[in-house]
Amino acid sequence: MKLLLALGILGLVGILAVGIAGLWPRADFPDPDPVARGWRVTNAVAAIVLGLRLWDTLLEVLVYVVAMVGVRFLLVGLHWKGELPPVSETPLLRRSADLLLGPILVFALYVAASGHLGPGGGFPAGAILGSALLLLALAKGMERVSAELYEPRLESLEYLAVVLLVFLAALVLILGLRTPAAFVTANLLIALEVAIGAWAVLHRFSSARGEV
Amino acid sequence: MMAVLLSALAFGLAVFALTRKRLLWGVIGVGVHSLVLAALYLVLAAPDVALTEAAIGFGLVTFVYLLALRRTGKLVVAASPLYPLLYAEGERVAGLEWEILERFARWCHRDLELIWVPRAEILRLVRSGEAHVGAGGFLPNPHDGVVYTQGLVPTRLVRVRLGGGPIGAVVGEPGASWLGSDGKLFEDADELARALSRGEVGEAVTDLLRWREWETRDLFSGAEATLLPGEHRFAFALNPEDEELRESFAEFLGELERRGELSELIRRHLG
Repeated sequence: MKLLLALGILGLVGILAVGIAGLWPRADFPDPDPVARGWRVTNAVAAIVLGLRLWDTLLEVLVYVVAMVGVRFLLVGLHWKGELPPVSETPLLRRSADLLLGPILVFALYVAASGHLGPGGGFPAGAILGSALLLLALAKGMERVSAELYEPRLESLEYLAVVLLVFLAALVLILGLRTPAAFVTANLLIALEVAIGAWAVLHRFSSARGEV
Repeated sequence: MMAVLLSALAFGLAVFALTRKRLLWGVIGVGVHSLVLAALYLVLAAPDVALTEAAIGFGLVTFVYLLALRRTGKLVVAASPLYPLLYAEGERVAGLEWEILERFARWCHRDLELIWVPRAEILRLVRSGEAHVGAGGFLPNPHDGVVYTQGLVPTRLVRVRLGGGPIGAVVGEPGASWLGSDGKLFEDADELARALSRGEVGEAVTDLLRWREWETRDLFSGAEATLLPGEHRFAFALNPEDEELRESFAEFLGELERRGELSELIRRHLG
């Protein structure tokens, strides 16, 4: 057992070393800048994710939604009846949550809205928003936060975001729309969808504890 | 060069996170690990990936783990010391019961916290739910208002006679039922031993392990001990309302017994 473990660790270190040393042949990438210019944005990654490979991104978003719906329906019968151990409040955490929440929200918005100009985009922005919600839940307790965020309305908002995204994608794919405004809108919609999905799934898991 | 350094750091942090005994340190290790990974991606000219890694790996995942840790939380043990079962050895705690509790805490992913209290206080804390487990040579007594795990170590009650006078026992222990009308009750075994050595009581009812401890500490000379009929077993006291804890503790002890580790532990600690 220990020998296997040692061999495994050595193998991992070896793979890491080979990768770092640059021994693997690397493909010649085309120059990314013309791609970005073709879609009238400055961030080549955004041009690929939301332009050249829009189908991939759409299906990725759909996978995310399907996962969320799956969690929702699979956990329906598993609601935890007993009292959950309370998440104790600490003044330090509450204060830092109060201080950090605003900047985090603004940063998430910035990351989403500037995804076509520099590194960023809808997915990381959604994750940042989701972790802001979790920070709030950690500081104030899951129940209180979920009582304030009305979940059915949030979920319909998420589905609405997905529908709008599909419309936007249709405009881009069929009508050949190429403007930065489409990128900004798409990033904001993806951020909304990812954030609400992360919150809904985690809230469901944490209130169905013990039997999953 | 920077990439090599960051990779080595990430690898070290992964090992750090995996080897921590306390879950909180593991979570912190994993969080810092993804932060280092994000820096690595940045160095390798992939700022988009770095941003996502920082947001999900450091932000979201760390918060999820912290929330889960908060929810499963601590396992608070209230105990009074008894030499081979549960005792302080300088800064650290050792003993048979401690080892079992440590394994159980790791098994159900909770952080172990120990508070030393007198025997009578253990019952109050466990009954009110302030402590999850009562330990330290706990002898079951059916009228305690708490529930017990299966018995671990068999013992006998001992009647220690030093001189004339009333009989003393520890409140709540089965030995208390041997007291007559002039018997005295004490908060814990140490107080009983002190009272006996000062002559406040002439006799004391206690168990074999405590008697052995008193003998090794040479508290009183010339005492004469007689075994009382009936066998008792040391067990852990649990809150009667915490059914989840009772079930998982029973399952854990059953598994320990099936794998033969329980008897191995008992042999190692008690000889």
